[in-house]
Amino acid sequence: MIKTQVLLRAKRDAYLCTPFPVLVRLCATRIFHGSNAGEEELNISMGLLLTLLAIPGGFASIFLFDKYGSFLQWLRGQGKFDPLAAAMPDEYFFIVLSMVVTGGVALWWWDSIFPDHRDFMNLVPLPIATSRIFCANAVAICLLTGLCAIDVNAASSILFPATVGGSQPSFRFMLQFAAVHTLIVVLGSIFSFLAVFAVVGILMLVLPYRVFRRISLYVRTVIATSLLATLFTSFVVPSMIVDLSSTTHSPLRFLPSAWFLGLCQLLRGRANPALTQLAYLAIVALISVCLVVLITYTLGYRRCFMRLPEVGDAAAGHLGVHTSWIFNLLDRLIFHTPFQQAGYRFSLRTLFRNETHALVIGGVTGLALVLASRTLYSLWGGNALGSRPSAEVLSIPLIFGYCLLVATRFVFDVPAYLRANWVFRFLLTTSPEESVSLARRTMLCLSLPWIIFVAFPIYGHFWGWTLSLLHCGLVVLWFVLLTEVLIAAFCKLPFTCTYPPFQHSAVVMVMAYVFGYFAFTVITPQIESDALSAPVRGTLFLFLSLGVWYSVHRIRKSVLEADAKLIFEDVPAPAFQCLHLSDGR
Amino acid sequence: MLQAIELSKSYASIPAVQDVSFELRAGQILGCLGPNGSGKSTTVKMLTGLLQPSQGRVLFRGEDIHRDLTGYRKRIGYVPEEPNLYPYLSGREYLEMVGILRGIPQPRLGKRIDNLLVLLSLYPSRHSAMASYSKGMRQRVLLIAALLDDPEVLILDEPLSGLDVSSALVLKNLISALGREGKAIFYCSHVLEVVERVCSHLLILRRGTVIASGSTTEIQQRIGHSSLEHIFHHLVDDVDPGEVTRKIVDAIRAA
Repeated sequence: MIKTQVLLRAKRDAYLCTPFPVLVRLCATRIFHGSNAGEEELNISMGLLLTLLAIPGGFASIFLFDKYGSFLQWLRGQGKFDPLAAAMPDEYFFIVLSMVVTGGVALWWWDSIFPDHRDFMNLVPLPIATSRIFCANAVAICLLTGLCAIDVNAASSILFPATVGGSQPSFRFMLQFAAVHTLIVVLGSIFSFLAVFAVVGILMLVLPYRVFRRISLYVRTVIATSLLATLFTSFVVPSMIVDLSSTTHSPLRFLPSAWFLGLCQLLRGRANPALTQLAYLAIVALISVCLVVLITYTLGYRRCFMRLPEVGDAAAGHLGVHTSWIFNLLDRLIFHTPFQQAGYRFSLRTLFRNETHALVIGGVTGLALVLASRTLYSLWGGNALGSRPSAEVLSIPLIFGYCLLVATRFVFDVPAYLRANWVFRFLLTTSPEESVSLARRTMLCLSLPWIIFVAFPIYGHFWGWTLSLLHCGLVVLWFVLLTEVLIAAFCKLPFTCTYPPFQHSAVVMVMAYVFGYFAFTVITPQIESDALSAPVRGTLFLFLSLGVWYSVHRIRKSVLEADAKLIFEDVPAPAFQCLHLSDGR
Repeated sequence: MLQAIELSKSYASIPAVQDVSFELRAGQILGCLGPNGSGKSTTVKMLTGLLQPSQGRVLFRGEDIHRDLTGYRKRIGYVPEEPNLYPYLSGREYLEMVGILRGIPQPRLGKRIDNLLVLLSLYPSRHSAMASYSKGMRQRVLLIAALLDDPEVLILDEPLSGLDVSSALVLKNLISALGREGKAIFYCSHVLEVVERVCSHLLILRRGTVIASGSTTEIQQRIGHSSLEHIFHHLVDDVDPGEVTRKIVDAIRAA
C-alpha cells in the first residue's frame, strides 16, 4: 500500500515536471500576479487573497443566525416559519455577492487573462507549439475560475444552509438546501467571471489592439460600477420577485442575478411561471457566455497574441496634447510655485493615465453614483421636491465629495512605477509643507468644480439661489475640512512613495472611513436640514469647523516639529527602539 | 546552417525590412549593425520565427523554419533585446521552467542550471525574485536560458546591455569560444568595438536594407577604412556628428 502511494506520488511529481503542467502553473501565476507585476505592486499571496475573498460570504452567513434561530423565532412569536420563503432574499444576496466578488476578481485580472507581450517574448522562442500555450492558458483560466468560484462561496455554502436548516428537524432538508445553494452561487460566480472574460474577448476581437488598450480602462470602470450597482439591488429585487407575475415588462429580465434566483427557486420547486422564465434565461445565458468565451478566446488568441510583436504592447498612440490651456489657467489661479505646477501636472496625468489609479477613482465615483442613486430611489414617491430639501437630498454632493476625496487621498499612497521616482528624489529639496499644499489643491481642484458647476445650478433651480448658495457654501467648507483631515500627516509627493504599511492599520482605517462616511453624509445633512428650519442651529457648524480645523492644525504642527522630510519610502516604525541612553556618558 | 533569403517585412504597409539576404555558417559570428529603426530587431524576430516575413524565407539546414518551428527552436538560443522576465519568479525557477519547456531531463537540468548560475555569479541570488535583479543580472539569466540546451545557433540581440565590465568580458570571450566550438552566432549590437573584436562577418542595415555584408576584413578593404567606426560612419550616417554636437551645445546655451 505504502509502496503504491510512493509510486503514485513519484508519478505525479514526474508529471508535474513535464512541459504542460509547468506551462499551466506559469499561466496561473501570471494571471494571479497580473501582467504589470513589478516590485511596486502590492504583494498579496494566494492564501491571503483566497482568505479575503472568502470573508464576505462567511460574515454574511453569521449575521443571519438571529433571523433563522428557532429560539429567537419563538421569542418573536413566529410560530409558523417557512425557511425557504424567508431564505429567498438572503439567497438573492448571496448570489449577488458571489457574482460581484468573482466579477471583481475577473476585472482585477483583466489585463492578464490573455497572454501578453512578455509571455510572447519568453514562451514563443521556446520549442513548444503555440497551441500548447493556448491550451495551458485556457486550463489556467478554468482552474482559477473554479478556484475563485469555490473559494468565494465556500463559507456561505456551509454556514448559510447550516443557519437556515439548523432549526429544521430534517437533516435531508439541510443537505438539499446546501446542494441547491452551492450549485446556484457557484454557477453565478462562473457566469460573472466568464461574462467579464467575454467582454475582454469581444473587445479584443472587434477593436484594434491599441484602441482596446485605450478604452479598456473606461470599460472596466463601467463594469465595476455595474457590479456595485448589482450589489445594491439586494435591497429591492427580493420584494419585486415576490410580486412578480410576468417577466414581459419587468426590468428583472435584464438582471443576471435575478435569473439565478429564478433558477434557485425552480430547483427548490418554488418557482411560478415568471421565475421559471428567469431560470431558463440563466441557463441560456450561462451556455451563451461559455460559447462566446470559447469563440472569442480562440479567435482573439490567433488575432492578438500571434501578432503581438507587430503591435507591441504599448498602450498607445498620441497622448492628449490639448490640455495645456487648462494647466496654464490653473498655474495662474491656483498653482503658483514651480513645485506645485510640476507636481499638479504629474499628479493629474498619473491619475487619469495609470490604470490602477484611474480604476480606483472610476470605481469609487461609480460607488458614489450608486449610493446617491439609492438615496434618490428611497425618496421615490416621497416629497423630494418640497419647499426645503430633505436631508437625503442635501447629502448627495456630500456623498460624491466624500467618495472622491477619500479615493484621491487613497490613491496618492499607491505608487506609480516607483523605478521612475529617482527624478523627484534627485531634484526635490522641498519641505513637506509644499507637498501638503500640492495635495490639498489637487484634491480640491478635482472635487470643487462639481459643486460649482453641477450642484449649485441644480439646487438653485429647484430650491432657490439663496438656499443653493448656503448649501454649496457649506459643502465647500466641509470639503476643505475633510481635505485637511485627510492630509494632516501627509509628507509625500503623490504616487512616488512605496506602499504604506497598510496591514498595521488597515482595520482602523476602514472603520474610520466608514464612520467618516456616516458623519459626513448622514449626520451633517441632518444637522443642515434642521438648521434650515432654525438658522440659529447653523452656528453649530461654525464651532464644529473651528474644532476640526484646530485639531488638524495641531497634528500638522506636531508633524512639522518632528523635522519631517519628504518621504519616498514608507517604513513602519520599529516594534522596539534602542534609546542609547548611555551614549552621552 | 542558417540562411535568410530576400526577407521583407511591412507593418501596415510601411516596410521595415526589404530583401535582406545572408548566410550564417557553423562557426561563424555574424555581427548585425545599423542605426535605430534600421530593421535589426525585425530581422532578429524573423530569424527566431517570432515574426512571419511578408516575403522571403528563413532556412535552417536547407529547410524553411516554419515547416517545423518547434524543432527549429529546440536548436536555437535567443537573447532578446529587453530582459522582459517574470518578476515574481526567482532566477532559478525561471531557468527551471525554460529547461523543462525545452525538454531537458530533470537531473541534468538542475546540475546545468546550478553550474551556469555559479559561473555567471548569480548563484547567491538564485532564490530571490527577479523583480529585485539589476538589469545586468536579468541579462545574465537570459543568457543562461539561451545556453541551457546547448544550441546550434545563437541569436543575440544586444546581449551586453547592462552587464558589468567583468561579465561583459566573459561574454565577449564566450562568444568567440562558442564560435570556435562550431556554433553559428548572429550578434546584433550598437557597440562597434565589441562587434569589431568578436565578429568574423558583418551585416550592415540601413532603413531596412542591407548596405554591406561579408567578412570584416573584406568590408574594411572595400570601404578603405581600418576601423569599424569609420566604416559605419561612412555607410550609415547621414549627418555630421561634429555639426550635430556643435548645434546641441548652442541649443543648451540658448536655453
